[in-house]
Amino acid sequence: MDYVVELLHITKTFPGIKANDDVSLQLRKGEIHALLGENGAGKSTLMSILFGLYKPDTGIIKVRGEEVKIKNPNDANRLGIGMVHQHFKLVHNFTVAENIVLGMENTKYGFLSMDTAIKKIVELSDRYKLKIDPNALISDISVGMQQRVEILKMLYRQAEILIFDEPTAVLTPQEIIELMSIMRNLILEGKSIILITHKLNEIKLVADRCSVLRKGKYIGTVNVKDSTPSLLAEMMVGRKVSLELKKKPAIPKEVVFKVSNLSLKNPHSEKFLLKDVSFEVRAGEILCIAGIEGNGQTQLVEAITGLTPIHDGVVVLNNEDITQATIRHRNNAGISHIPEDRHRHGLVLDYTLEENLILQSYFEPKFQNRGFLKFDEIRTNANYLIQNFDIRSGKGPETKTRSMSGGNQQKAIVAREISRGSDLLIAVQPTRGLDVGAIEYIHHQLLNERDRGKAVLLVSLELDEVMMVSDRILVMYEGEIVGEFDPKTTTENELGLYMAGSKKREVQ
Amino acid sequence: MKKTFDWSNVISNIKSYVTSHWFGLTGLLLLFIFLFITPSFLTTTEVGYLINLWVLIITAFVLIVGKVVQFFRKNKHFVPSESAPLISGLGSVLAIIIGLIVGLIIMYIVNPEQAFQGFLVILKGGFNQGMASFGTMIYYAVPIILTGLSVSFAFRTGLFNIGASGQLIFGAFVAVYIGIKWDFLAGVPFLHWFVAVLGALLAGAAWGAIPGLLKAYRNVNEVVSSIMLNYIAVYWVAIMIKADQSIYFKTQDRLYDILPSAVTPKFGLDQIFVGSQINIGIVVAILIAIILYIILFKTTFGYELKAVGLNRDAAKYAGVNAKRNIVLSMIISGAVAGIAGAMIFLDRGAWFKPEIVLRPEGFTGIAISLLGLNHPFGVVFAGLFYGSLERGGEYLNLLRFKHEIIDIIIAVIIYVSALGLILQKLVIKNLKWNSKIFQKIKRVILKESPSDQSEGGATQ
Amino acid sequence: MSFLDLLYYLVPLIIASAVPLSVVALGALFSERSGVVNIALEGIMLMGAFVGAVVIRSLQANSSLSTTSIALIGLGVGAVVGMVFSVAHAFASIHMKSNQIISATALNMFALAFGSFIARTFNNTIIISTQDVFRIPSVPILGDIPFIGNLFFKGAYLSTYVGVIIFIIGIVVLYKTKAGLRLRSCGENPQAADSLGINVYRVRYAGVLVSGALAGLGGVIFLMSFAQKFLMTVSGFGFLALAVLIFGNWKPNKIILAGIFFAMTRVLAVSFNAIPIISDLGLTLDHYLMVPYITTLIVLAFVSKNSAAPRAAGEPYDAGKR
Repeated sequence: MDYVVELLHITKTFPGIKANDDVSLQLRKGEIHALLGENGAGKSTLMSILFGLYKPDTGIIKVRGEEVKIKNPNDANRLGIGMVHQHFKLVHNFTVAENIVLGMENTKYGFLSMDTAIKKIVELSDRYKLKIDPNALISDISVGMQQRVEILKMLYRQAEILIFDEPTAVLTPQEIIELMSIMRNLILEGKSIILITHKLNEIKLVADRCSVLRKGKYIGTVNVKDSTPSLLAEMMVGRKVSLELKKKPAIPKEVVFKVSNLSLKNPHSEKFLLKDVSFEVRAGEILCIAGIEGNGQTQLVEAITGLTPIHDGVVVLNNEDITQATIRHRNNAGISHIPEDRHRHGLVLDYTLEENLILQSYFEPKFQNRGFLKFDEIRTNANYLIQNFDIRSGKGPETKTRSMSGGNQQKAIVAREISRGSDLLIAVQPTRGLDVGAIEYIHHQLLNERDRGKAVLLVSLELDEVMMVSDRILVMYEGEIVGEFDPKTTTENELGLYMAGSKKREVQ
Repeated sequence: MKKTFDWSNVISNIKSYVTSHWFGLTGLLLLFIFLFITPSFLTTTEVGYLINLWVLIITAFVLIVGKVVQFFRKNKHFVPSESAPLISGLGSVLAIIIGLIVGLIIMYIVNPEQAFQGFLVILKGGFNQGMASFGTMIYYAVPIILTGLSVSFAFRTGLFNIGASGQLIFGAFVAVYIGIKWDFLAGVPFLHWFVAVLGALLAGAAWGAIPGLLKAYRNVNEVVSSIMLNYIAVYWVAIMIKADQSIYFKTQDRLYDILPSAVTPKFGLDQIFVGSQINIGIVVAILIAIILYIILFKTTFGYELKAVGLNRDAAKYAGVNAKRNIVLSMIISGAVAGIAGAMIFLDRGAWFKPEIVLRPEGFTGIAISLLGLNHPFGVVFAGLFYGSLERGGEYLNLLRFKHEIIDIIIAVIIYVSALGLILQKLVIKNLKWNSKIFQKIKRVILKESPSDQSEGGATQ
Repeated sequence: MSFLDLLYYLVPLIIASAVPLSVVALGALFSERSGVVNIALEGIMLMGAFVGAVVIRSLQANSSLSTTSIALIGLGVGAVVGMVFSVAHAFASIHMKSNQIISATALNMFALAFGSFIARTFNNTIIISTQDVFRIPSVPILGDIPFIGNLFFKGAYLSTYVGVIIFIIGIVVLYKTKAGLRLRSCGENPQAADSLGINVYRVRYAGVLVSGALAGLGGVIFLMSFAQKFLMTVSGFGFLALAVLIFGNWKPNKIILAGIFFAMTRVLAVSFNAIPIISDLGLTLDHYLMVPYITTLIVLAFVSKNSAAPRAAGEPYDAGKR
């Protein structure tokens, strides 16, 4: 077996989490090897180790049969390993050629001699059929071409092994097809490719073999030709015995919240971030939007909550059109929001706990009188919430929120948002980064709200959570709703298929 | 707000404060007596100077240590490396110490024989001539305190008001203009002065609004726009002055004297601080500090402003109108700077010259703000400290030193403060609070036995 | 005066004014393009001018070097002083990752205080007089060319020519050399530069030191072409240079134009009485001097949304965040 790269028994632990647990990957020369897994499966960590950004705790790396130590990206480059990052590292106001040669420029007495470089670039571009214009500015070219520049950067440095990290996340369908053919050309020229992805159809199109990771563990490697999407989905998602959550059957009542034909385009590329999204949420039900990160969920929530302006579509809350309403108006009209990024949107970390607990309500008569804060009420409110929601902190209401643990910070946000009694509760990734106890606690809170007749919109990346908690499931893929499911009748594998874009179903 | 005005409550509060702080208060009293009643022997001989210097240093040291001991006794679980105000406070003190040392070094290089003498003069600062110099120190500190308040308020809301100079000049001009021309206000006592100050407030507010609006609505960096506006203010004011014969005293290149009714009143303060230039400017400054304190820490408006300054995204999600708050914040900041201008020039003999020079108060205000940890009350103390230094500089002229050494010291203090965060983290956080030495000290202070160790152990 | 005479009078003055502005603005460009905002230029210019003045005066009084040599030494000293002084800013901004505006403000204050202190201590006055001998009546051969000779080669200063040469060298370095390319990448996308093996810290240090050298040089040029008496001020030229940078949208060709424009307003301010049309406008010296600042403000208002400012300028780079 001619292995050009071997990662053997790699283990890498970060505080609190084992990102890679005895993972092995072997890349044959001249193959496209897909690395498949959900969010948090450990794909990026593994590749970062290969590219020299991290050091493995245990395990060895072999390149062309010889054991090596890769301490930084320069070492990786010297070994012929190159990485096309998901977020391009390009200087926007340099030309294509300047970006490619940066760091290894040709000079004559100190002056840049771009002619030789451009000649070499054009030669590479023709050989690998990577259409680019060496003299164009990065800011003027399409995203697809930018990606080709990143690829050329590696080829210019004579990379033999290329790692692509979720390359199709930012591309339009046409650009994706072009990329696929580019990859095949690279193989014909003798390169070897590792493709990090969660999209099954792309794996089917270009990959030779596929290794699957799940929650840090290596599941297995299959020949793509001999496997089916269902098999891959099953490996990716796994059949698990979920912890049963006791819940009463839902009694959905009237429609509280309705989104119609919501579309959003990325202003810099032409890619659709949201495509004609429509759905309803009823009082007394938990509707969950499932999907792999980066398929439009963030944009959807930002549009609903008012952070991003809407030009295409309608959002209605309790029969009031709030499509153009301000954030405060939406909050007051009945939306509570547990945000995805608790540090960025959910809390002012340098405020105390009690100050953060009134972040959405400091202006209400309950907490202020003619502009002056009522500190007694604020303290009482904090104590009440701390008690009822079991928020643990060093100094109680006076604790600087920054010093609290992630779980308790989240509990504070949950407490704040739920206690506002809004008709619609939006929870985005509410249990991310929390321990089992906190997760269970938050799930109970969500169910409570639902039983009290509130409408709950849950956005989650964790399939077990989706299956356990929700009454109805919508799957999002590439900005569209691709299917609606009943947790009682669907399986994680089926959801996995839709999440990976393999199937599509009309939604009522 | 409920306010129970219970005199017995107040008295018992004072009593308990005095008894619990007897150590520190006694020390302060001794220091005060010593500084004001300096026998001539100590001021005219070499030996005397050294004694003077050392007594000062030791007293200060003992006071600080006493306070620290007291503090640790009260808070047994205190972890120094986790207390942000302490770290920042120590950072300020460190900056001051380094600044003073640099000053001392320069003074020594330039004039070795008189270096320590001069240093002592600087340290004594406003106390060099007892009450008279103390009062004058307060007088000169007032504009700096006000610009410091202006800058610190903006800082708290995430903005950098480097335009205090321009707001100050603009406010000063309006104040003096009213002081000269609006004689119809002279009848009612203090009205003329009050209106002049009000005019300065509005002028400074307007001038501060410009960078605020530019930042909120056109995303213009407030530092650059403020710098431009500083110069524009200076030129425009000069133009307005020279164009108006009724206020411009051409032969002496200054504005005419303001009417006596517009001069900042003294309200008897000059009887307490005899021989000084003090007026109620300090009362104005303290009042404004209190108002800003209330706004920042007691109102919903302040809550919003701080939120925007600390985390604009979260504030947005909370529905706060960030743009409006940015503008309002700059307006308030500018208003305070404008009042600073009024305080400088609404005085007998303080002649307003149409010179094209950026007044330094705008920039020393930044130093004061940093030293005072951007807190209104901290700024007042830092401002008084600066005033003391500055007075010291004046007295340095009696020795053979030039008072610019004070400005050098201030500049170094700002620079070291800027190094700030990292310095604090490096020096203070890395002091091994858990090491044997500190644990031993702690035991002695708290009169603990070794078995109490685990209880009071610091967590890292 | 005839129109031509007017031109022969004004143009050299404008050039003499534009050169220090542009040189210092170039320094600001170097610094910002590498990613560090440097508003300490005023202070650095002051230091350079101060030390330069002291050196020039003592050389003129105590040595028999030719005027040209003295001038060149003075310029060199200014550049070196500026570079050394700017180390403080570089250290604070790059190593200590501190607030770049605050450290720069501290340096501005320090320069003025230090200069004043030393001058008053040793000289009893802040005024340092040097002999005004740096004006070149006419450059041999080139000064005799009709029209152009009168415009550019008569009555100019040595410092002016030095400034022009330095400016051209600076532009070439920034845009045509490997070092310049890497420097610019650090100001736009330091992560990208880092991922390609470029040491962002070292590059930024270089950027700030170059800006210091240029500002110090600019200070001496200012001294030699403007004030024969050094009055412990550079008249806000350091801040004006920042305005030139912004007005010129961080591009060298526009910076030159901006420099000339601002210089014109200054020259006009001083000599507007002599110019027929403009003197009738009834504006004063201060009006003209105000023009650069107002125009910059207006430009800022319209350009800030799409400014070409280096994207990573002003943000300390943390190699840890990959």
